[in-house]
Amino acid sequence: MPKAIKRLIGLSCLLIVISMITFGAMNFLGDPLFNILGPVAADVDNPDSVKIIEEAKAQYHLDKSLPERWARWAWDFVQGDFGVQFSSSGQPPVSNLIKERLPRTLELMAVAQLIAVALAIPWSVLAASRANKRTDKVSTITAFAFVSIPSFAMAVILFYIFSIRLDVLPDVYNATDSFWGFTHDHRLIQLILPGFTLGLGAAAGYQRLLRTDLITTLQEDFILMARSKGVSKRRVLYYHALRPSLFSLITLLAINIGYMIGGSLVVEQYFRIPGIASAVVEATLREDFPVVLAVVMIISCGFMVFNYLADFLYSVIDPRIRTEKSGQRRKITSMGM
Amino acid sequence: MSHETETPSTLLKLDDYRVGFRTERGLAKAVDGVSYELNSGKTLAIVGESGSGKTVLNRGIMGLLGSNINESGSVKFQGEELVNTNRQKFWGKKMAMIFQDPMTSLNPVMKVGKQVSEPLRLHQGMSRKEARHRTVELFTLVGIPEPSQRFDEYPHQLSGGMRQRVMISIALAIEPDLLIADEPTTSLDVTVQKYILDLLVEVQKESNMAMTIITHDLGVARGRADEILVMYGGRVMEHAPAETLFNEMAHPYTSALLSSIPKLDDPKHTRLTPIEGFPPDIVDGPDGCKFAARCQYAQENCLSELPDTTVKGDHSYACFYPIGTDEGAKAFASNAERGHTAAGLKIRAKEEVI
Repeated sequence: MPKAIKRLIGLSCLLIVISMITFGAMNFLGDPLFNILGPVAADVDNPDSVKIIEEAKAQYHLDKSLPERWARWAWDFVQGDFGVQFSSSGQPPVSNLIKERLPRTLELMAVAQLIAVALAIPWSVLAASRANKRTDKVSTITAFAFVSIPSFAMAVILFYIFSIRLDVLPDVYNATDSFWGFTHDHRLIQLILPGFTLGLGAAAGYQRLLRTDLITTLQEDFILMARSKGVSKRRVLYYHALRPSLFSLITLLAINIGYMIGGSLVVEQYFRIPGIASAVVEATLREDFPVVLAVVMIISCGFMVFNYLADFLYSVIDPRIRTEKSGQRRKITSMGM
Repeated sequence: MSHETETPSTLLKLDDYRVGFRTERGLAKAVDGVSYELNSGKTLAIVGESGSGKTVLNRGIMGLLGSNINESGSVKFQGEELVNTNRQKFWGKKMAMIFQDPMTSLNPVMKVGKQVSEPLRLHQGMSRKEARHRTVELFTLVGIPEPSQRFDEYPHQLSGGMRQRVMISIALAIEPDLLIADEPTTSLDVTVQKYILDLLVEVQKESNMAMTIITHDLGVARGRADEILVMYGGRVMEHAPAETLFNEMAHPYTSALLSSIPKLDDPKHTRLTPIEGFPPDIVDGPDGCKFAARCQYAQENCLSELPDTTVKGDHSYACFYPIGTDEGAKAFASNAERGHTAAGLKIRAKEEVI
């Protein structure tokens, strides 16, 4: 257990460093005052303007030193107050914006990851069980095609086939519809096309990795042993071979969370999903740095949480890397040969 | 399927069985015409050095070799022809195998108890509870202490000897008619080897199954096997009941194999006699006797002709110049005189030859 706590402290330190870098960069690269006030910020000869500038500086603590401003921001951040937006007269507050936008992106990513994993596992098992045969070769080519089609092209292709030609999936995303349900008026169904757009490329990546690991596992003696015990080929693949082959996939799953947020940018734009990725693009263009900072922090936190979860999953899958407890028991019980 | 030519107890009958792997260089003839019979309740030891084809032979019999092989000849198991058929229906029911390395042959992420109870649940229709009960019984039978606790442990928590006992209990759970033990003790500590071997023989006797022990150690075979079959280069060199083989050893390869392993009754500091050279290329092998290139007895015809199998009762061997015959003695004498064999191998000085 202390190991887990050590890890947690390390991750927190990392988050602090990330926030400092982002905070600093946003201040050095742009002029916050200009971003808040617009051209007025440069009009220092006009006494009226100077008054406005002074007020804004006081309101946004721009008259304080950078470390102090960071500390104020960090203190508010941990309490759930992400500050005010620089533009649009500071309304709504950043935390409200995030609260509204983030769930939509999370839903999209969850759907995309589910699609990717649900496709990748049977796909890899099929390819690995027929390694280097025709099925496997065709699946490799397909995988490379999926990986190399950029998401904007994939979006257009899928949209054209399933929404326009076949007309089986909805073409609009409506943020006010409820999520859970199976009609075109539910966001779950509306997210299928965006989910596939994001998920197909990811599935292909997962398939490449899992196929290789499965092929390695399938050459192990214990697979032959399982077969000689009369375990069916199918059960050997899914029950004996899959679990010890999942390590790299889990690692990639966790890493891919970050990439998926990047990928969801295009998808959100194309399918008109007002999610966090589109919010951060707008904010970056406006140099609205409290929004950017908040999103960066949330992505970093999410990334770390998922990598932490991945570490936990390793030990669920492989008993050999479980905590010291079982090791101690082993010492006591295995006195025989 | 006629049983006329076979006695009812003949479980396994091989006739000119061949296994070849398709490689880029051509067909690798790993098993090159093997014939033998194995009766229920008997133990056969297949002895040979690495690369002699003994593992391929047995995996071939079980049908565990995959798809890029060429099989020919005949393997009859309980009267049923196996060659080029799918043997899946026998797996976990009538045939079982114990593999060489118990660490890599047990699934590292599965509780050992589950691995033993899996065939019970799949093939004997036992409930989870019944299978667990039976597994604990089997663990007790093979001498695993604290069996019910061990059920929920993982292979890495057990020592090599314990893992091999788990493997044996898997084989016993299956209650096979034929058990193939592929070098069951090679990866184990010497002190554990004897226990595992004796345990295997003991359970084999009790359950009246037929067992094949694959080993490279003639010492392992001695006293445990009813019959010994010596393989080299994918062919049977000599096949005889165990005591006959040790007493009337006919093939130079058997003799060479025996002199290359230490014996308890050797005086201290006895030098072992290694067999010089390497096993033959199985893709583009020699025309004559496979062992000719390394044989102290080799004459010119050994290099060009394949010796027929000489059968003397239950003792058979494939050699032109067998030990203990005039031909053999003459062949060795002529090689000793010219200082080398027909294959150009230097003859060891007299005092070095045991």
